[in-house]
Amino acid sequence: MTSRTRHFFPVIAFLAATSLFAPLGTRAQSSASTSSTGSHGDRWLHVRVISTNAKGETVRVNVPLELAEKVLPAIDHDRLHNGKVRIGCMDCDGVDVRTLFEAVRSSKDGEFVTVQSNDADISVMKKEGMLFVHVHDKNKPKHSQVEVKVPLKVVEALLSGSKDELDIVAGLHALAGQGDVELVSVKDDDNTIRVWLDSKNVTTD
Amino acid sequence: MVLLGKIALGFGATLAMAGAYTFHEGLLRVDVDETHGKGSHVHVWVPAAIVPMAMHFIPRDRMRDAGERARNFMPLVHAVAKELEKYPEAELVEVHDGPQYVRIRTHNGNLLIDANEPGQIVHVSCPLATIDDVSSELAAFAPAS
Repeated sequence: MTSRTRHFFPVIAFLAATSLFAPLGTRAQSSASTSSTGSHGDRWLHVRVISTNAKGETVRVNVPLELAEKVLPAIDHDRLHNGKVRIGCMDCDGVDVRTLFEAVRSSKDGEFVTVQSNDADISVMKKEGMLFVHVHDKNKPKHSQVEVKVPLKVVEALLSGSKDELDIVAGLHALAGQGDVELVSVKDDDNTIRVWLDSKNVTTD
Repeated sequence: MVLLGKIALGFGATLAMAGAYTFHEGLLRVDVDETHGKGSHVHVWVPAAIVPMAMHFIPRDRMRDAGERARNFMPLVHAVAKELEKYPEAELVEVHDGPQYVRIRTHNGNLLIDANEPGQIVHVSCPLATIDDVSSELAAFAPAS
């Protein structure tokens, strides 16, 4: 070893060690950049349950729709296979759900069902590609309110599978194409339940 | 003497890089504290990078057994870990029920699970990449169905 190379030995050793591990560093960097870009435009399904009882139960669930879409097909259990759930009553008591949905989908916007009684007010209406269900229960001390908003495209996607099954993955995919929307809102004496869709990965409230 | 110093510097640099490599994937961390009486306290901190390597030292029949047991849900674990890597910072689940508390989130590419209940506190932190690697290793040992 010449005196010149002896001077550079620590540097060479350091560079050798660096080059040995360099590919791993590059991999880590590329993975990090994938992570940051992957989060753009994500749609999140949020579920929040707040109980006003003494224990003050709270449930917050935030699920990226893309994750649910990718993970569901990996579940092969009971009635759930390939992202589709088999249900035995698509023709419930002689009511063909698909035909009923097709009739609703092709009809003009309007209020289809209105029930007003001493116990509850119920209304079902279609407006701008959404199906709205509103239930106002008058029996409870604090009147409970249930509001459900279902994009018809989501229902169409859910029913796009073969007979007697719901295509959950297709439904989620259709849901991801919707704007920010509150799907379910329930307010009663004990609980407040909200299910909604937006682009935020946390619930601030 | 100067030569020895230079060798030591080179060795030190290599050691530092080896250390950096060992910890570059983060730590697999499990903390269990039983707060009642003489409750046990378990704290396991393992560099995540060595977990897939360590699996190669497990006897193959044990790995086959583990792979067979895990066969049904490994594709799910693999899919979840792989997808969660796209969400390095996310609050996934938070449940408060009186004194009980569960929180599942991702932070810095780690899956963090915190669970508190009277008398027991559990914290688990595991890099998502490690979960993915381990599930792939186990799946490789699972008998084909």
